[in-house]
Amino acid sequence: MDMSTDNLDIMQFFVSMLIVGIGVALLSTGIFTSYFGAGKSQKIGFGLLFLGIITLTFVIDMAFGTIGIMPDQFESATFKDALVSGVSALSGMIIGMFMILFVLMKVDTVDDLEDLDLEDLEDLDLDEELKKLEEELNQTENKEEKSEEKE
Amino acid sequence: MNTELIISMGFVGAMLSMLGMGLLIAYYGSSKTRNIGFVFLIVGAGLAYYLAEMGMDAHPSVSFMNGMLAFLGGMLGGIIGIIIFLVAIIKS
Repeated sequence: MDMSTDNLDIMQFFVSMLIVGIGVALLSTGIFTSYFGAGKSQKIGFGLLFLGIITLTFVIDMAFGTIGIMPDQFESATFKDALVSGVSALSGMIIGMFMILFVLMKVDTVDDLEDLDLEDLEDLDLDEELKKLEEELNQTENKEEKSEEKE
Repeated sequence: MNTELIISMGFVGAMLSMLGMGLLIAYYGSSKTRNIGFVFLIVGAGLAYYLAEMGMDAHPSVSFMNGMLAFLGGMLGGIIGIIIFLVAIIKS
């Protein structure tokens, strides 16, 4: 495996995707803030949205030369490769996350109930317990009535 | 379209999420959940081994490393963009 950094094209791959990443982040945060924000926050959202659109437009112009404002800094073929690499890695991350969530939801992750002593529960007579509770309630009510009569 | 690059970068993404989530689940999980975390860690390590030993031999490693560079650049750009957003919101 060749791990040398001699053939790495930092300008074509790293810098181009860095600008695209900034543009996409500004665009998405701008859309959210301008939609859900109010007052000053909404204005900031519109500013971020504008900045994101401008950044992405410039980087596309630098790669494909569609508008002609910016110099042709990036080769279109390598820019496409870089974009495909970034998008596929992100897709892989999302698929991995979904797999983890799927496994965690499907596998019964609740702790074993073997440690829980269910015998005590089985021995309980619910009718007797209810009668005891009723007696306790009656006693407290009687006490309250007696105290009111004294007053 | 470079299909090999797409597949290998997809594996890289899956490997990263498996290793990251596996570490968190193995550390913070309890009993069964922790065991699942260890399984995710093993799967992530297996993917890393595959990419290092076999995946890169299938296609030129230069294009793979350039793809990694692009992925790192994209991630870093996204982080910088979110920091710009946070600064703009907090300062206002």
